Amino acid sequence: MTSTQRQPTQSQPAQGQPTQSRVQDAAQRSVGTASPRIEAWDKVTGRAPYAVDHPVPGAAYAWVVQSTVARGVVVDVDTSRALAEDGVLGVLWHGNAQRLESVGDPELMVLQSARIAYRGQVVAVVVATSPEAARAGADLVRVREDGMTSDTVLRIDHPALYQPVQVNAGYPARSAIGDVDAGLAAAAVRVDATYRTPAEHHCAMEPHATTAFWERGCLVVFDGTQASTAVSETLAGLFELPPQSVRVINEHVGGGFGSKGGPKPNVVLAAMAARLVGRPVKLALTRQQLFAVAGYRTPTIQRVRLGAATNGRLLAIGHDAVSQTSQLSEFVEQSAVLSRHMYAAPNRLTTHRVVALDVPTPVWMRAPGECPGSFALESAIDELASAGNWDPVRLRIDNEPAVHPEEQIPFSSRHLVQCLQEGAERFGWTDASGRVVRDPRPAVRRDGEWLVGTGVAASTYPSLTWPSTALARATADQRFDVEVNAADIGTGARTVLRQIAADALDVPIAYVEITVGDSAIGPATVAGGSMGTASWGWAVTKACRLLRERIERDHGGRVPTGGVAVRADTTLEIRDRPEFSRHAYGAQFCQARVSTMTGEVRVDRLLGVFAAGRIVNPTTARSQFIGGMTMGLSGALLERSVLDSRTGDFVTGDLAAYHVAVSADVPRIEVAWLDEQDPHLNPMGVKGIGEIGIVGTAAAVANAVHHATGIRVRDLPIGLAQMIGKLH
Amino acid sequence: MEFLRPSTWDEALAAKAEHPDAVPIAGGTDVMVELNFDRRRPPALLDLTRVASLADWAADGDRLRIGAGVTYRRIIDELGGRLPGLAMAARTVGSPQIRNRGTVGGNLGSASPAGDAHPPLLATGAEVEIGSVRGVRTVAVADFFQGPKRSVLAPDELIAAFLVPAATGPQQFAKVGTRNAMVIAVCSFALALDPQRRTIGTGIGSAGPTPLRATEAEALAAELPWEGKTLPDTIVQRFGELVGAAARPIDDVRGSAAYRRHALAVLGGRTLRWAWEEHRCA
Repeated sequence: MTSTQRQPTQSQPAQGQPTQSRVQDAAQRSVGTASPRIEAWDKVTGRAPYAVDHPVPGAAYAWVVQSTVARGVVVDVDTSRALAEDGVLGVLWHGNAQRLESVGDPELMVLQSARIAYRGQVVAVVVATSPEAARAGADLVRVREDGMTSDTVLRIDHPALYQPVQVNAGYPARSAIGDVDAGLAAAAVRVDATYRTPAEHHCAMEPHATTAFWERGCLVVFDGTQASTAVSETLAGLFELPPQSVRVINEHVGGGFGSKGGPKPNVVLAAMAARLVGRPVKLALTRQQLFAVAGYRTPTIQRVRLGAATNGRLLAIGHDAVSQTSQLSEFVEQSAVLSRHMYAAPNRLTTHRVVALDVPTPVWMRAPGECPGSFALESAIDELASAGNWDPVRLRIDNEPAVHPEEQIPFSSRHLVQCLQEGAERFGWTDASGRVVRDPRPAVRRDGEWLVGTGVAASTYPSLTWPSTALARATADQRFDVEVNAADIGTGARTVLRQIAADALDVPIAYVEITVGDSAIGPATVAGGSMGTASWGWAVTKACRLLRERIERDHGGRVPTGGVAVRADTTLEIRDRPEFSRHAYGAQFCQARVSTMTGEVRVDRLLGVFAAGRIVNPTTARSQFIGGMTMGLSGALLERSVLDSRTGDFVTGDLAAYHVAVSADVPRIEVAWLDEQDPHLNPMGVKGIGEIGIVGTAAAVANAVHHATGIRVRDLPIGLAQMIGKLH
Repeated sequence: MEFLRPSTWDEALAAKAEHPDAVPIAGGTDVMVELNFDRRRPPALLDLTRVASLADWAADGDRLRIGAGVTYRRIIDELGGRLPGLAMAARTVGSPQIRNRGTVGGNLGSASPAGDAHPPLLATGAEVEIGSVRGVRTVAVADFFQGPKRSVLAPDELIAAFLVPAATGPQQFAKVGTRNAMVIAVCSFALALDPQRRTIGTGIGSAGPTPLRATEAEALAAELPWEGKTLPDTIVQRFGELVGAAARPIDDVRGSAAYRRHALAVLGGRTLRWAWEEHRCA
């Protein structure tokens, strides 16, 4: 049920015919070849099964009931009317739900107590023989809530703000080098500005959804998740099962953007419901329910202080970030972390503070930290360039550090300067000799009623690698089955892993099958942190190389009748890597226009130039970069989750009110990448590309809007409200 | 919930008479959203998609009679030349999928002040043909709307068609949304020039309890240099101001009242200039 269906490719070997010939070497490398996604045909024809599409005999359906207060307790749940409804099999609430063993994430301790920590928290689940009956039953559950005064608004002067021990991804909350105040005092040009980014929701196409069933004491789950290994381990912990008794399958996942990076309440509830009714249960959250239950990007308030000498060299960088978390668990967006390595400066200070509010729990969303952080830092750099009358590209190049400016360790590779130079020339910012031809003056370029401007921002994202395992098998008919518990969330993961496998085996790609998306394959890391290709690809490479070696060494280059199999684990290799600062970098350029009559803001053109190691598949890579930049543009101009402070409810709780960019909003997006060779990463030489595209886009747009109009927007999204009345 | 599926117009009228609380459904692009969001739970739905005559349109003298079930997509494809203003508005509705399903009759039936078809129907003096077992009546679009999502339809009545003159001059439509597609109008404006009669028709959307006409702006027609002359900026500006002044907007999640008035003034002047250019070059 988890084997990947593949469209016929040319030169397929005949199946089932054992051969005595030696394994044939590849005539050409697969890595670097542009090719479409293996599962594209299945997806566009509707054949690819998502979490609740799997046919399971006798399935029941679950529907959640959510709290209507932001803080309080559930006094009583009256299930009698719901249970009397035709088709309703059972109702779960904290009074009858089975006890769970804590695994450290209070968000997953569903229906374990009467406490309500945010509006929209699940307080009951109705299970019925059809989705309609479950929904009708959910309407009949009477939940008596005792609501208390709630605190739902993030403020920079909130008295409960505190500095956490760590921020997301394990970075220290605070980092100080030298004396920022002294550096600022000595500076000839200074910027001190505060930037705000709103709450945002991921809005993946497939909602959070689960099919769960129990079979002879084992739990089997189809879950729309970016991390089926983590989900299976978590479920084993919550239900006190041996790890091998839980299997989580995520063959196809309809997007995630971080919201499916870890287990969410839906998977726990589905498993509880399946146990309650003794049947398989399908639970798909609705779009509206997702806004409370599936996480979101925290709003941020960020103060950036920069000071530069008369020659444009930074003397001080200060970046103080404030964000929110829920009363249930602490998630701290690492917004200021990128300011620790983007630019050189002798005096540096980055801080993070957070406040726990009566709100849903924020979570990873595409480039957590770097995305909102880059809006603040890269806008501030642009403000410094304006204040000092420096070219913004030149200013960034002049502050390029030789080594990581805080850790004093070398970069494994860093080509930010080359990205800026290449992008500037392609964009027409500089001429062929590198001379700046862009007029720096704001608000002077008119095109009819429009004011036109250009802006630039830098991008970065860490190049992470985590241990994973993979399995490679050769059969006597010269076919190679490679399995790794990757999650393909629409990125092309299985497609590039097959390419990597073919090269590591040194066989033509048509001989290689790839299987992903099943925790039973063996542990592998999350499709998150832009580390999938590096982490899974390393395990695949290791397994495949060992397999080919074994065939050559032990079997004379011929696959024996019984086949050969190798399992590989990269834990030790990753632990023993030398110390480097590993990041991808990029530069984004934007041309924007603002109507002097209506204040509307349009983006004409975006260009991104990235240095992200070796590109495995130009087709899927281009889509990742363009997708990231499109999401960045969407965040720059449209996306904003509005929370009603009186109710703690996201009032923009559907796609008619929460606006993401549509095709008509998206201009010409050009993407280029440098041929970056980095021997210090992994055997494939790859860095992650899933998130860097969203980093810096909003700043590039805001900087272009400033260049067009002279209006500096420090509060996303950029809309006509900030333009109207200020245009001339 | 009962689901009624008449196959002829007479059956539909009989069903509506028998079930006055049944909600008519055509493309379902409004009704299904309300059902799905649980904003509405009518005792019965009256599916009109089997009534073939509703999907017909034909010339009726110098007017067109367009069945209530004609989709936006067909308005664009089949009537774009004769009803350019309505076709422009139809192009701004939702996505291709929505335009394949949604109908102008449904738009009228919902009677939302933000309905995209309403301003061009107002600007061209269209009429709504309403049927019931009691008979047929026609109502001017300007008199059809009674308030937000309220119209003159009696509980036993259904919209059969709308009657609209084929364009006799340039028509324009402009809509402000917070993104470039798939968006409910912050405000919209339609304009129809009739050079023979020397009149201007107007329609304002999403800036009042009902779609509105800008009658004082229309009266400027008497001052226009119809004999192929350039339009003075002062008239363009005055026209825009009168359009803005005719609006009765409120502040809501999509935009402020002040912005709507401002934007309508811009759209009014702009569409007049566009239409005038076309008139002058015709």
